Amino acid sequence: MFLTRLMSYIIGYVTVLVRGGDIEKFINLAVSRGIYLWDITWVADNEILVKVRLSAVRPLRHIGRRARCRFYFQEREGLPFVLSRLRRRKALVAGAVLFAVSLYLLSSMVWFIEVRGNQDVSGAEILSAAQRAGLHKGAMKWTLSQTAVEEAIRDQLPAVSWAAVYVEGTRVIIEIAEKTLPDDDGTGPAHLVASKEGLIKEMLVLSGNPLVKEGDTVLKGQVLISGEIPPPVQEENPGIGVPELAEPLPGPEYVRAKGIVRARVWYDGYGEISLVETGQKRSGRLASAFCIKLQGKEIIVIGPGKVPFEAFQSETVAKRTLQWRNINLPVELITRKHYELVDFRTEHSRAEALVLARGKALAGIREHLPRDAKVLEERVEEVNAGRPEGIIRVKAFVETLEDIGAIEPFKPEGGIAAN
Amino acid sequence: MAWDDMRRKLKKQFSDLLEIPGDVLLDLPRIVLMGNLQVQIENHRGIQEYTPRLVRISIGKGMLELTGEDLVLRTIITDEILVEGKILSLNFVNLDQQP
Repeated sequence: MFLTRLMSYIIGYVTVLVRGGDIEKFINLAVSRGIYLWDITWVADNEILVKVRLSAVRPLRHIGRRARCRFYFQEREGLPFVLSRLRRRKALVAGAVLFAVSLYLLSSMVWFIEVRGNQDVSGAEILSAAQRAGLHKGAMKWTLSQTAVEEAIRDQLPAVSWAAVYVEGTRVIIEIAEKTLPDDDGTGPAHLVASKEGLIKEMLVLSGNPLVKEGDTVLKGQVLISGEIPPPVQEENPGIGVPELAEPLPGPEYVRAKGIVRARVWYDGYGEISLVETGQKRSGRLASAFCIKLQGKEIIVIGPGKVPFEAFQSETVAKRTLQWRNINLPVELITRKHYELVDFRTEHSRAEALVLARGKALAGIREHLPRDAKVLEERVEEVNAGRPEGIIRVKAFVETLEDIGAIEPFKPEGGIAAN
Repeated sequence: MAWDDMRRKLKKQFSDLLEIPGDVLLDLPRIVLMGNLQVQIENHRGIQEYTPRLVRISIGKGMLELTGEDLVLRTIITDEILVEGKILSLNFVNLDQQP
């Protein structure tokens, strides 16, 4: 029923006043011709209103002549009439289109940015980080890459450990999880701990309670100078035998430990060089090809079809063609670079290999040395496997003198923090 | 006439036997009444008279007479009529001598 009404609306229909003649005959003739009539209502004697589809009006005239009825068109309804009415009112249509387009455009913009979950990092900082990744008020949603914004926020703000960006309508929500950094503002109580293992050579305590002394061996993470100074031991009053419990003991004092702790630190390294080295390296010759990948098939546009080298190494750069929302072209542009590889074989003399291995072993150590470390001793010894082999193995030891102190803030437990 | 009656009786028995609905075989109208608001008549033979108080519809044998108030022919197609309004009565007028 609804569908036929909808169909009538789409085709368009008219209300016809039929007057005079044989009205029943008119109806029967129309029905037998397959004309769909509906809402037949009686108006007066020999006068009815009939609704009929626009497509059936022409045959209806013919029937009317046979039944000797007169027609008067009363109302025109349906899509064709609406359209013709709109054709006369172009400004209205333009306004409607403009409205729809602007509604769509405005609703695909970002209007509100909300930052959630931040406590110490200010919202403005997060917003400016997001801005640099293209998320700002008025940005189009389809240009917005959520992962890029998330990454940018994480990269630019080290205090943020996790960020999620999601779009809800015209609102973008940035959710943040902050790292729980111990709040070290440079004034709170702190220990000085060993950053590496070593033997303490010199120690200068500026503030704090030293827990180790010169000549001690310390492990990594061990507290060297404590920021917790215990209360001075009260001298017992010789007059009273039983210590008074009524007087509360003063709690420890908390300070920021300061000092210089120089220690001897040992490093060891290892290097080996084979007397005969073989391998492959790039010769410098290059062949590049440019292909278009279409539905899994690759079509080479420029460049050789077959790589003209016996041994080669390939690098592939694939580029997706433009994509919009979820739609992307099934085409990929691929650039391939083939580097020719050639075999090489180098022979070292024993002395040469030893120098190289030593250099390698020491270089490995130097990578780990801090800048201010003073090298006290460098010792290199060859490891002998006991049987002749084609490899020179070398062990290196380096002894340095360096400051191993590192600040580690802590939270005092119920004491008085003295700054 | 006896021959006609016999034929009708035979058809009736046949349709009873095979459980075929009578309107298919016997060319009878199927009338669905919805309260006193709507009548749906399938298998009709055209409309004989239409006024808001009386609608006469010819069926296979005879005529169906609907009386009521404000009767409207809601839809009318080749084998179905839908009449709406306040229906008061529904009569079968057997006019066997119809042309």
